[in-house]
Amino acid sequence: YILTVSMPLDCKEEPGSLTRCPSISQEKLLDRVIHHAELIYRVSEESCSLFEEMFIPLPLRLQSNQAGFACITKTLPIPSSKSEIEQISDKWLLHSVLMLVQSWIEPLVYLQTTLDRYDNAPEMLVNKTKWVSEKLVSLEQGVVALIKKMLDEGTFTTTYNEQGLFQYDTLPDMLESVMRDYTLLSCFKKDAHKMETFLKLLKCRQADKYNCA
Amino acid sequence: MMTKVGEVLLLLLLPAFVPHTDGTRYSLPGKPTEIKCRSPEKETFTCWWKPGSDGGLPTTYALYYRKEGSDVVHECPDYHTAGKNSCFFNKNDTVIWVSYNITVVATNALGKTYSDPVDIDVVYIVKPHPPEKLEVTVMKDQGWPFLRVSWEPPRKADTRSGWITLIYELRVKLEEEESEWENHVAGQQKMFNIFSLRSGGTYLIQVRCKPDHGFWSEWSSTSYVKVPECKTSKKCLFSGKSDEVFSALVVSDFPPTTSNYEDLLVEYLEVYVPEQQELMVDEGKDHDGCLKSIGSASDSDSGRGSCDSDNLLMDKSGAAKEEQQQQNQEGDQIGTETQGPKEAWEKETMLCANEDVVSPDASSKKVKTWPSVFSPVTPYSPSPLDPHNSLEMHKQNCLSDTQFPPGSPSSDHCIKKALQSSYWEVCFNNNQPYPQTDVHQQLQAHSDRNISAINDGNVPSNLLLPTRMTEYVEVQRLNEENKVLLHPIPSGHSREKACSWVGHRDNYSKVKGVNSDNVLLLQRDVVEEESMEMAGAAESCYTSSIAINTPKPTTCSHIALPVQEERVLAVSGYVDTATMFSLDT
Repeated sequence: YILTVSMPLDCKEEPGSLTRCPSISQEKLLDRVIHHAELIYRVSEESCSLFEEMFIPLPLRLQSNQAGFACITKTLPIPSSKSEIEQISDKWLLHSVLMLVQSWIEPLVYLQTTLDRYDNAPEMLVNKTKWVSEKLVSLEQGVVALIKKMLDEGTFTTTYNEQGLFQYDTLPDMLESVMRDYTLLSCFKKDAHKMETFLKLLKCRQADKYNCA
Repeated sequence: MMTKVGEVLLLLLLPAFVPHTDGTRYSLPGKPTEIKCRSPEKETFTCWWKPGSDGGLPTTYALYYRKEGSDVVHECPDYHTAGKNSCFFNKNDTVIWVSYNITVVATNALGKTYSDPVDIDVVYIVKPHPPEKLEVTVMKDQGWPFLRVSWEPPRKADTRSGWITLIYELRVKLEEEESEWENHVAGQQKMFNIFSLRSGGTYLIQVRCKPDHGFWSEWSSTSYVKVPECKTSKKCLFSGKSDEVFSALVVSDFPPTTSNYEDLLVEYLEVYVPEQQELMVDEGKDHDGCLKSIGSASDSDSGRGSCDSDNLLMDKSGAAKEEQQQQNQEGDQIGTETQGPKEAWEKETMLCANEDVVSPDASSKKVKTWPSVFSPVTPYSPSPLDPHNSLEMHKQNCLSDTQFPPGSPSSDHCIKKALQSSYWEVCFNNNQPYPQTDVHQQLQAHSDRNISAINDGNVPSNLLLPTRMTEYVEVQRLNEENKVLLHPIPSGHSREKACSWVGHRDNYSKVKGVNSDNVLLLQRDVVEEESMEMAGAAESCYTSSIAINTPKPTTCSHIALPVQEERVLAVSGYVDTATMFSLDT
């Protein structure tokens, strides 16, 4: 079970009070992390759609059930089926999220640079990708803080940022290159959704351990 | 080298001077206080502090912080960006996951003094910049002008992604000395409509925003907008200022609302018999007000304007009325240009008096009028037209809101509210303070006017109501002869219960119009829409639904009575609707 680190005072909700807010409660922190993950997922979904509309011809568009096999994170030891998820401990839920987040930081940086190679990547797409990339870094910090608070584990940085996960060599074929980028975006969208889901599951468990799905 | 030694010597000597009687005391610096931190967009933040005394010596300040859960002390990364005595944390240094514990240290030659530490949670200190690109345009809805205000979130606030959620508030006021701001909360929307404008007035508008947990921004820069003047016989909305009820059937020179307003909104409708009939819905305030009836000379229209005009009233005393109206509109609460109540009274008198003409004349020809609901009367001057006009006795106060204390001796209240324009209230004047109970009796007793309608279902041609009392009358139906039957509202429907009226719509009919025979047509439907921009005036029930009815499509041959209700900006808690009618011939 989760160890709750008890802190003396909780921050008062009212905005005017600049005062005595020595720490952010675990619950509040989890809410913020969830909110963060939600935003990331939403923007990643928008980015993926934008990219798809602009650059992917209809027949090549991935359906939601496809491309699972092509995702870079498929080798990560994170739960994928419902039953697995139900059995996983809170601690591993959190760590899974962290793994996912850390795995995507580099590829997203790559995506930003790769979009430059497109002739007419819409500015919105570029901005969104940049936004997501920045927020992901921020999310990592949040998850780390959460782990520290919930699990009382010490800080550790990019433990899971394995270099091997993502190799990017410029592919000579334009279409292949585009497809790879498309796959990246789709996979990220899925993983972002996973992050959000795990976190929400975690929150649910805080409230009612046995009734969450 | 020498200077250095000199400095050292000086420093060593300083303490010796401390207790010196030359008056200069050197001491440790005062404690820095009032540390305040703000973030404009939840991505960066700045802290400012107030230096204490410097102890007579050059003092420097430093800010140190710790992040929650860590013992590492960091120093402020940037003392310059935000100005003197400040520390700026950029994106990289700002996190929302942990709180910051901040201390400011003042140092001078004698030592250091620490401020009290302060804990900061960035999410709770967000104070955005004001909204931008405030635009105000005058638009028209069926001929009635209204203001459409729109704006954008402050540039730096990332509302698009949902990082910050902002709510907005705007405020409006007339460019006049004594007018006050009226605030409206716009929620998350970035657009807002303001109705009930004063024609020709100039309005100031500002908007500000606030995140869900955080502080209000400063007000944006002011936008000015001038509402065009209404010209006669054009569709135009005249309304008093926001806190005045609008009245309607009028045209620019429609008259009168009393100039003596208090916080009460009054509305009443008067209908005149034939030639001199005019449909009038008026508003006045307060018991002192005399709403007028315009009984002026009739024009060939008989009070019915052209299809498109709102010329309900025949205004003979055009100029006077207009003036008066102006006065009224700029009624006490807002007005500065009023000519003075006295004059208004006089004018009102004239107008009021006119009403009398109607009643006696009202012959049974056609029905015609709507009971002259309010016989506005001014106590100040006798009506030239009707010497024994009982009108003079009463001031009619029409209260449109429920706040009017029942049975208040001060008034003859005439409460009338065509809230949803789905019903008419007929108001009677009271000679004396009258508890509004036995309308029936009053009606019957009334002799001055032949408002008989009510009890016997026999509407006499002259439907003018007795000026004796104030009461509500509900229109029951049109009888075969197309006469308006008035039915007194049971005393249960006292003023205080105005709120309950809201649900009684089905009992009321909307005045549909006056046909070519000068018959008042009533229609039973109720149209209601919620006006989104309703200001929340808690006290008044009328706020609960204010509708803007789009007039039904009408042709000239068909009497259409476009009834429009204007929402009046709530002021002292009132929101009222004005009903406007225009008669088509």
